Amino acid sequence: MALEDYRADCVSCSRCSYCKWIPFDHVKSWRFSRACPSIEYSKFQAYSLGGRLSVALSLMEGRSGYSEALKDIVWKCQTDGACDVADKICRYNIEGLEVLHELRFRLVEEGQTLPRHMAVIDNLRKEHNTMLKPKAGRGKWAEGLDVKDLTREKAEVVFHAGCRFSYDAELHNIPRTALTLLHKAGVDIGIMGKGEMCCGGRVYDMGYREQFTECARNNIRAWTKAGVKTVVTSCADGYHAFKRLYPELGANFEVLHTVEFIDRLIKEGKIKFKKAVPMTVTYHDPCHLGRRGEPYVPWQGKRKKIFGQIPVWEPPKPRYNGAWGVYQPPRDVLKAIPGLELVEMERIREYAWCCGAGGGVIDAYPDFSLWTAAERIEEAKSTGAEAIVGACPWCERNFMDAVKAKDEKIKVYDVIELVQRAI
Amino acid sequence: MALSREAYRALEDIVGPENISEEPAILDSYAFQWLAETIRPGQSKFMPRPEAAVLPGSTAEVQAIVKTCNRYKIKVKPYSTGWYFYCAPQTEGVIQLDMRRMDRILEIDERNMFAVVEPYVIAATLQAEVMKLGLNCNVTGAGASCSLLASATSYHGAGPSSIFGGENNQNLLSLEWVMPNGDILRTGSLGSGLGWFCGEGPGPSLRGIVRGMLGAKGGLGVFTKCALKLSPWPGPAELPVEGTVPAYNSPLPDNFRAYSLAFPSWENYFEAYYKIYDNEIGYIAHRQFSMLGTELGTAFWMLYNDPTKTLDDIEEFTQKPEIKKLTEEMKIAFQIVLAGLTPRHLEYQEKVLDEILADTGGWKVAAMSQPAMERFTLLYLIRLGHKNLNFVYNGGWLGTFMQAGPPDYVKGYRHIAEEVTEPYQKKGLLVDCGVDAMMGPVGSMGGGGNCALEQFGYYDVADKESTDAVVSWTKDCVKGAIDKGFVPGKGSHYLAMGMTREQRQSSYASAPWLGMYRWQRKIKGIIDPNDIGDELYPTLDEPGK
Amino acid sequence: MAGEKERLIGIVGKEHVLEAPEVLEAYSRDQGFVRPMKPWFVVEPESAAEVQKIVKWANETQTPLVPVSSSPPRFRGDTVPSLPGSVIVDLSRMNRIIRIDRRNRMIIIEPGVTYRQLQPALAREDLRLSTPLLPRPAKSVIASLLEREPTLVPRYNWSMPEPLRCLEVVWGNGEMLRTGEAGQYGSLESQWELGLAQVNSTGPGQVDYYRLMSAAQGTLGIATWASIKCEVLPKVHRLFFIPSPRLEGLIDCAYRLLRLRLGDEFLLLNSSNLAAILGGGASQTRALREELPPWVIIIGVAGRAKLPEERVEYQENDIRDIVQQFGLKLVSAVPGAGERAVLEAVLNPSPEPYWKLNCKGGCQDIFFLTTLNRTPEFLRTMYSVAVDLRYPTPEIGVYLQPQHQGTVCHCEFSLPFNREDSREMARTRELLSRASEALIEQGAFFSRPYGIWADMVYRRDAGAAGILKKLKEMFDPNGVLNPGKLCF
Repeated sequence: MALEDYRADCVSCSRCSYCKWIPFDHVKSWRFSRACPSIEYSKFQAYSLGGRLSVALSLMEGRSGYSEALKDIVWKCQTDGACDVADKICRYNIEGLEVLHELRFRLVEEGQTLPRHMAVIDNLRKEHNTMLKPKAGRGKWAEGLDVKDLTREKAEVVFHAGCRFSYDAELHNIPRTALTLLHKAGVDIGIMGKGEMCCGGRVYDMGYREQFTECARNNIRAWTKAGVKTVVTSCADGYHAFKRLYPELGANFEVLHTVEFIDRLIKEGKIKFKKAVPMTVTYHDPCHLGRRGEPYVPWQGKRKKIFGQIPVWEPPKPRYNGAWGVYQPPRDVLKAIPGLELVEMERIREYAWCCGAGGGVIDAYPDFSLWTAAERIEEAKSTGAEAIVGACPWCERNFMDAVKAKDEKIKVYDVIELVQRAI
Repeated sequence: MALSREAYRALEDIVGPENISEEPAILDSYAFQWLAETIRPGQSKFMPRPEAAVLPGSTAEVQAIVKTCNRYKIKVKPYSTGWYFYCAPQTEGVIQLDMRRMDRILEIDERNMFAVVEPYVIAATLQAEVMKLGLNCNVTGAGASCSLLASATSYHGAGPSSIFGGENNQNLLSLEWVMPNGDILRTGSLGSGLGWFCGEGPGPSLRGIVRGMLGAKGGLGVFTKCALKLSPWPGPAELPVEGTVPAYNSPLPDNFRAYSLAFPSWENYFEAYYKIYDNEIGYIAHRQFSMLGTELGTAFWMLYNDPTKTLDDIEEFTQKPEIKKLTEEMKIAFQIVLAGLTPRHLEYQEKVLDEILADTGGWKVAAMSQPAMERFTLLYLIRLGHKNLNFVYNGGWLGTFMQAGPPDYVKGYRHIAEEVTEPYQKKGLLVDCGVDAMMGPVGSMGGGGNCALEQFGYYDVADKESTDAVVSWTKDCVKGAIDKGFVPGKGSHYLAMGMTREQRQSSYASAPWLGMYRWQRKIKGIIDPNDIGDELYPTLDEPGK
Repeated sequence: MAGEKERLIGIVGKEHVLEAPEVLEAYSRDQGFVRPMKPWFVVEPESAAEVQKIVKWANETQTPLVPVSSSPPRFRGDTVPSLPGSVIVDLSRMNRIIRIDRRNRMIIIEPGVTYRQLQPALAREDLRLSTPLLPRPAKSVIASLLEREPTLVPRYNWSMPEPLRCLEVVWGNGEMLRTGEAGQYGSLESQWELGLAQVNSTGPGQVDYYRLMSAAQGTLGIATWASIKCEVLPKVHRLFFIPSPRLEGLIDCAYRLLRLRLGDEFLLLNSSNLAAILGGGASQTRALREELPPWVIIIGVAGRAKLPEERVEYQENDIRDIVQQFGLKLVSAVPGAGERAVLEAVLNPSPEPYWKLNCKGGCQDIFFLTTLNRTPEFLRTMYSVAVDLRYPTPEIGVYLQPQHQGTVCHCEFSLPFNREDSREMARTRELLSRASEALIEQGAFFSRPYGIWADMVYRRDAGAAGILKKLKEMFDPNGVLNPGKLCF
C-alpha cells in the first residue's frame, strides 16, 4: 500500500473531531475527556487525526511540500490509535491509523527523517536495539536465571524481553519475575538472550517499514529454528508487533502477553496467591496491548460499490477498532490478588490515554512524551490509587520519569511485580 | 496574499509564537472542510487557505487580535469546534481563529440551572459535568462533539432534547462578545456586572443582534463566553455505559424508557406530534434512525450492534427476514425517550403515550424495545455521541429541506423531498437507501410546536460523478421547494456558499424579505465598520456602492 | 401647525385626533412619579398602515410619538411624554384578534387586545394564555409581553420574552418588518396555507428583532400585531399553598419543585400582596394581611389535555412529598385564603379597581431580576431603607416570580401610598429612589429600566447603552419614538 491508496480515506474525513476525544458515550468529566495527546500538546488542527488526513491530502495534491513543520506534524504523535478508535465509532470504514503510518512511510522513503530517529535506526541496524546501546548488553537482564538459551536449545515457548526491558536496569526485575513465574509453573520456556533482536514494532510506528521487516524476519527465523510455538512477552510494543504485524509476514505463532499467560495460569490453578497486597491501584491499558493489540485477521479483498454509492470490501474487511484488545486479563490478575483493590481511571480500555512513549515520540520529543505521561499520572491520582500499574516497560519508564520530574508520590508498577508480591 | 510581517508580528506578540502559524500544511488543515467539495473548483476539499491560524487563550487576546485585524484590515474567522465549511475562511486574506484554547467550563450554578462556558466546551463534556448535579444541557443535532457556545450564538441550536430542554437560542443567557470593531459587549445581567443568569436587557435585549435564526456562523466577531440554561436530568450522576465499541449502550434506571413509535400513515404520524405537544410528554423526541434511509437504515442499525460486523456486511443484513420485516415496520416511525422526573411522572407519561398511540393508531415497535436496542437508543439519543454516523456510508452526506415549522407545514414538504430524491437514488448517484432518509426533532423548540425533517443525501466524496450529483440534487431540492411555494431550506444555505459576492448580492436583492439584509448592513455598519467579518453575515449593499 | 394636524386627520380621521383638554390631561401623567407632560394630540390609528403613516408624518414633522396600548391606570412612566409637543399614538382601537389557531396553539392579535378581551375568546377555542399576576383588565397583551412582564407559569417560560413569538413592526423610520419566521415568507395568509403558524420567533436572518423590541418602551418601533403561543385550557385546575413564616424557609423547597417542573402557576407572595389580591378595600386588606401566613408559595396544578385528573393527582402527590421533605405543608387553604378564591384571582385579570390600588389608592413598584436564592438579601435591603424612611414595612407587597423555568426570578416590591397625602407621596418617592439605588448597588438587575432607573442602570452598563444608542439611531434616526426614555 502507498499513501495514494488512502486518498479516499483522506477526502472522506468529515472533519467531525471525534478523533480528538474519547468515545463520547464514555465521557465522564471535562478533565479527562480528551483522547489525543498530540492535538492537546501541539494544539493546531494539523496535529489531530483529521488534521493529518488533510495534511496528507495537501501533500498528495502538491498544495504543501516537505518542511520541518510537516515533519513535526507527522512525527509529533504517538500513533497510539485512540483517534482511530473514536473515529471508528462513526467512520469505521476510514483507516485513519493506517494513513498516519503511510504518511510516515512516505516521508522516510523520501528521506524526510528526524535526526533523533535516525540515531535509533542506525543503532538498530548495527546493534539490533532501539535503546542506543551495544548489542553485547542485550541478555544481561537474565543473568543468573536458569533458563534455556534458544539460540542453542529448543523450547515450546520463547520469552521475548524486548529492548526496553533488556537495557533498562531499573526494570530488569519485571522480565526476570515473569520468566521465573512461567518457568515455575512448568512452562517449557526459553529466551534468545543476547541474541534477541528488537521486535521492530517501534520502528514500524516510527515509519521505518523496511527495518521493521528485517527485525521481524530475523525473529521469525530464529524462533522457527528453536521450535517455538508460542511467543510470550511482557512488553506491549512487542506484543503488538508479534500479534498484529508479524502474521502479515507469514508468522504463525501463538502470541501471549505475560498478563494473559498468568491470567490463564491463575485460572488453571497453576499460580496461587499466598500473601495479601493491601493496596489500591489503578490499571493503565498500554495502547499496544489494548486497542492496538487486536489479533491479526488474514484478509484480502477488493473494493466494490453497493446500493449505488456505498464503497465496501469483498469479502468483508476485518474491523480493527479496539474491540478485541487485551483488557480483561490484566484486570482479572489484579483482582485475583488478595487485598488489592483495583480502581479505574476514566479513560480505560480502548479509549485509554497513552503513556506518551510510543511512535518514536520518546526518542524525538522527550518533553511531549513526558507531558503525556504526566497527564496520565494526574488521571491516576484522581482515582485515589496509590499506584498506577502497567503491562509495558515503555509506559512504566515514562510514568516513572514523570513521577520523578513532578515529585509525585504515586508508585509505578508492572502487573508482574504485584503478582510477585502476592506469591 | 500573505500577511505583512508587521501584522504577523503584531498577532504573534499577542498570542506568542507557539500559538500562531502560517505553515502551509497547518493552514491546509484549517482549509480542509466537509462539503468544500460541493462548492470549490475541481471538487477540492479545501476552502480558501487562511493567511494564518491563531489560537487565542483569553478574551483579552481575542480583543487584541480583533483590534489588530481592524488596524491592518485583515478579515477574521473564528471557529469553536470547527465542523462545517461555514467555519473556514470564505475568501483569501482571512486569519482563522481556532478557539480551542478557550475550553473551560467557568461556572455551573446548580440551583439556578445554568452553566458558563467558553467556545471549545463541547456538549459531551458539559453534559457529563452537569449530570453530576442532576442537570442536562441541550445537545444539538450536530452532536456531542460540537461547541455549545457556537450552537447558542452562531448557528442552529436545536436537538432531539429541545422539546424538553429548549433550543439553545432559547437557553442562551448572558454572553461576552468581542464585536468585530474590537469592543467587548456583555449582554444581559453580565453587562452590569451582576452575573450570568439573565440574557435580556437592560431595556431592549441586545442579544437580538447576536444571532437571529441561524447565527452569523463566525461572521460577526468572536463570542468568548456564554451562559446556557440547563434542564433537569433525572438519571444517574454518570451515564452507565456498557457494550462493545462502537455500539455502546446504557442500562439506565427504571425511570427511563426509549421507544420507537410507528404509525400506519403520515397523517397519523404528525397527529401524534401535536398530541405530544399538547400533553407535554417526552424528554427526547426525534426521528433518528430513519436518517440512513428507511430501506437500508434498519439493516445498518442491526449490524452496527453486532461488533463482529462491518458495513461490508450490510447486503447480507438486508436479506434477513426479520430485518426485512422490521424495515417495513419502521418506515413511518420516530424515537421517544420518556424520563420520569419522579416515578409518578413516568407513570403518567406512559399512560398518556398509550392514549396517544391509541388515538393515532400508532404502536411501540417491539424489536426496538428489546433491552439491547432500548439501551442503545437511550444512550444514542441522550449523548448523541454517534451523530456522525450520517457519514458512515461513504463520508459524503448533505442535508436539505430542514425547514422548521409546525407539523402541518413539515408534512407538506416531505413529499417533495422524496420526489426529488428518487431519480438520484435510482440512478445510483446517491446511496439508494430509500427515498425517505429524513430525520429531525419532533420538537425543535422548548415545548414543541415546531418540528423539522431534514432529507439526507449520501454521496461518495471520492467519486466525482456522485459529488456532482449531490450538488445537482441539492439544486433540485431547492427548486422543488420553491416551485411548491416553500422557501428554500437548508440546501440553499449550502449552495449559497459557492456563490460569488455578486451572485449573493443579486440573490439578496431579489429575496422577498430583502429588508432584513438592509437592516443587517446597518447593524454591520455599527459593529463592523472595517468589514473584518465575512459574508456569512449577509448584507445587501446600498445601491450604487 | 394646523397643516400638520390636518395631515394627521387625513391619516386617521377627525374623530381619532383628540385634543380635548381632559383627554390630553389624562395622558399627561400616570400613577407614578414621572413629571407630567401634556401631549399635543392623541391619535388613534386602526391599522398598521395608519401607524406607518403616522410614523412617517412624525419623521417629516420631527414630532415625538408616544405609543400607548393599554388603558389606565398606567404606572411606569413610559407612556407619559418626555418632550412637549408629543403625539400619543393610542393603539387601543387596533384590537382585533386576527387568528386563533387551536391546532398550533398560536394566536395573532393586535396591540389593543386586552387580557379581559382575550381570555374568553381563547377559552372558547380550548386555549388560554399564561398572564402576569392579575393584569389590569384593559392591559394590552402585546404591551405586557413586549415589556417582558413576568408570567405565572415558569414551566412555559422557555425564553424570557415567551410566549411572544413574531411581530409586525413599524420602525421609527417608518419602515415595516415582520419578525421571526413571519418575516421569511409571503403574506400571513400564504403562510397559513402552507401550514405555518408564526411559531418561531427568531430572525429573520441574523437578528432577533423581537428581542430588540422587548422592553424598549416603544422607543424603537411600534408593534402592530404579534403572534403568541398559548396553552391548552385546563380541564381541571387546582391551587395549593405552601405557607411559611419566613421567606428563607421556602427557597429550598421552591428550587426543588422548580427543578422537577412541578406545578403550573408558581409564585411566592407575602401576606400584603396576597391580601391585596383577595381585595375588599383598605381595611379588609389590612385585616387579611394579619391573618394570612407571612409568606406563601402559590402553586397551581392544571390537567389540560389527556388524563387531566391523573395529572393533577400525581403532581399533587409529588408536590406534597417534596414539601414534606422540607418540613413544610402543602395545603389547599391558609387562614384568610382558600383555594377557589385565590385560583379565581390569579387566573383572571384584576377586578376594578386594580388590585395594587386597593389598599391606599396609589402604588409604586420596584422590580428587578435576580436569582431566587438572593431574594432574601434584597428584601432585607428594601425593608431597611423603608425603615429608614419610616415607611411601614408591613404594607410592602412582595411578589417573587420565577421565570425562565426557574433560572431567573422577578422580584417585585409594591409600595402602596395615599395619593391624596403629599407627605406620603414624597416619602414614597424618596423610598423609590433610595431603595432602587441601594438594590442596584447590591446587585439587583433592573432589566426593565423605567423612569429614574434608566440612568442608574445605564451608568453601570455603558457598553449596552453605547450600542443601544447606535441602534436607536438606526431604527429611529430622527428620534421620534418616545424620546427621553431609556438611554435615548
